[in-house]
Amino acid sequence: MSIVTVQLGQCGNQIGFEVFDALLSDSHSSQGLCCKRENEAYQASCKERFFSEEENGVPIARAVLVDMEPKVINQTLSKAAQSGRWKYGQHACFCQKQGSGNNWAYGYSVHGPRHEESIMNLIRKEVEKCDSLSGFFIIMSMAGGTGSGIGAFVTQNLQDQYSNSLKMNQIIWPYGTGEVIVQNYNSILTLSHLYRSSDALLVHENDAVHKICAKLMNIKQISFSDINQVLAHQLGSVFQPTYSAESSFHYRRNPLGIDWHVRPPLSGPPSLGKMSLNKDLHFNTSIANLVILRGKDVQSADVEGFKDPALYTSWLEPVNAFNVWKTQRAFSKYEKSAVLVSNSQFLVKPLDMIVGKAWNMFASKAYIHQYTKFGIEEEDFLDSFTSLEQVVASYCNL
Amino acid sequence: MRRRRVNPAAGARAGAGALPEAIAALSRSLPSGPSPEIFRRAKFDRPEATSALWQLLFRVLSPLPAGNALASIALEVQARLVKSALCSQGYPRLALAQLPEDGSQGSRELLLALSWLLARGPVPEQMLAQTRVPLGDEMTVCQCEALASLGPPAPHMEAEGPVDVRHVQWLMGKLRFRWRQLVSSQQEQCALLSKLLRTLEHESRRLEAVLAWRRSEPVFWQWMDTVLGTCAPEAPAAASQPTFLPWVPECGDGELELVVRELQTLEEELQEAVERRRVAWEAKARGCGRGPEWSAARQAFRETVEKELGALQQCWEQDSGPAPAHGPHRLVRREDGAAGDQDLRAAELIRTLRSQEACLEAVLRQLQGQCRQELARLAGALPGLIWIPPPGR
Repeated sequence: MSIVTVQLGQCGNQIGFEVFDALLSDSHSSQGLCCKRENEAYQASCKERFFSEEENGVPIARAVLVDMEPKVINQTLSKAAQSGRWKYGQHACFCQKQGSGNNWAYGYSVHGPRHEESIMNLIRKEVEKCDSLSGFFIIMSMAGGTGSGIGAFVTQNLQDQYSNSLKMNQIIWPYGTGEVIVQNYNSILTLSHLYRSSDALLVHENDAVHKICAKLMNIKQISFSDINQVLAHQLGSVFQPTYSAESSFHYRRNPLGIDWHVRPPLSGPPSLGKMSLNKDLHFNTSIANLVILRGKDVQSADVEGFKDPALYTSWLEPVNAFNVWKTQRAFSKYEKSAVLVSNSQFLVKPLDMIVGKAWNMFASKAYIHQYTKFGIEEEDFLDSFTSLEQVVASYCNL
Repeated sequence: MRRRRVNPAAGARAGAGALPEAIAALSRSLPSGPSPEIFRRAKFDRPEATSALWQLLFRVLSPLPAGNALASIALEVQARLVKSALCSQGYPRLALAQLPEDGSQGSRELLLALSWLLARGPVPEQMLAQTRVPLGDEMTVCQCEALASLGPPAPHMEAEGPVDVRHVQWLMGKLRFRWRQLVSSQQEQCALLSKLLRTLEHESRRLEAVLAWRRSEPVFWQWMDTVLGTCAPEAPAAASQPTFLPWVPECGDGELELVVRELQTLEEELQEAVERRRVAWEAKARGCGRGPEWSAARQAFRETVEKELGALQQCWEQDSGPAPAHGPHRLVRREDGAAGDQDLRAAELIRTLRSQEACLEAVLRQLQGQCRQELARLAGALPGLIWIPPPGR
């Protein structure tokens, strides 16, 4: 089953390139530490998901590239073609000649509707190339201007047109000390819109990845390219083929088939016999955890620690909330690697902080005119605040 | 090479356009067959027809299945393989073995070789069988008693006690998720079915071409007679023909002898070990004791063992009847109704499958009823809660 990737804006396109590159070079890696047949199954599965085959054998990424200015897209296309091992489709990108000043409202209300047909046409062409569509993977930043606004619009459209397909948005959580003044506004608008139309939000924080580059990898001058490569490595180790408990003889068919349950239930009337208090967040409670193990000794790996009921909410048994996927095939030359994908209270603090900062700015109506000018009214802001507050509350009450 | 006996009347009946049609049918029925124009040029030994005919002969004679790998083999290699294959099949004409391998000349010789192969056996039919589409006429059968387990166990429901509404919402989410997975599986099935249809259509066209070829064959053979006529007669110098024996690697008798000796040593060692064990056991058994209880016990043992052995043998004889069918079976239409040992009749199979379906449907209805009851009970347990079922899709 195949995934169609939509790369949006500068962030989405740069990261998307690194992801495809990481996936393909892992797929061709000779140090898989497994038998030939296993390796071939792995390669075939990876190819089917992310690439389509052309006549002369060069894999073409199943991706649509969208940006409002041509520079980054051209760079991405040429980097891919230069690698010689894969490339993007010739007509798989959409861009405009002129940029447009980093404005979320402009991206959502103007660019989006204006170019809706062209972009959705490109996506439809990619979908038709797939024998079976597993879903969409949308890469975008959260706090950017046009990329984030268009991303929110496109995700909504995908929800309307492909309501039966899964959508996962990869969003980049901005640096705490970011440069864009209105990044908190953009963030809350993006998040609240995506929350309604996406099935899963996979979050990477720039600050966390930056720390990895600095402390674990000892890179002195950290560039965006370093950060993107770390991101791509993490995403690759989530997306490459694995076996799960249900299908132990074939690689899992649906890579997006993760029971994310991103929408935590809204905290309604307290259940009988229990008082809902605002507990102190002294322990990170999870709704769902997914551990992915790759490489040597996966069969004997001990994951019992993850099945502790204390880690999970009271209304869910660990057996329903915890999943393990394994494969002997090593990833990207790492003899053993593990990835944890977690739907938990981990993001409550950062989210709360962003909402707080945005609210403070909103209270004094700073910079609102940039949004009202293009159709995002104060009511929309209030709606966003409300829904995000609800999210924070539900997660706090887990 | 003798001339093939052809009924001249058959050729006369066919009209003027019959020859190109016959050749066109032949080339359609062969994988990547060259155009009739190539055949015509080959009759006059034109050099431009040579490489196409080398490649065609290679496809026909190559034991490998078709694929991209074949296309990338160099012409010289293909030519050499064709020569050695033809020779090992006993092709009599010397001239072919002496052709240059770069495809510069010899198209008439190649044409003669092709027709020799066609005369020897049903080449188009054999090629079709090689590239048969297995999906349209095969199905897997599983009659094993242990039906696969009914999927992962449903999440455990609390029999009594308050239910957290969040758990129910979680279940709804899970259900929605499974639904969408089902829809995309169905879409996948549609896409694959249409792909299958296209492949089957392609195969049908090949089959039709083979039939057309068989109908118009006589015309082709008449024409081939004229081709043979244009060649210079060959001297039967069979004696001086170098024989191309298939090349056997020089593994040498030496290695085989070594292996034989090793196996003999191993056998001797094992026999010694067996002998030692038997002696030890007999000593132990003898030392077990004499006496009436011992011989009575021994008698009892012997009887038990004989009984068990008899039972096992009976069991084995029973089991050696038709084993439950498992695995892929080909669908074959038989007029005479005679069926082999391993064959299953479609009617019987259909009956069995229908009854299994009925059983499974009954189980499904029962489970659905249980779920509905459970939902109703849960709904009753939470007063003031309004259930709005999802819109039917």
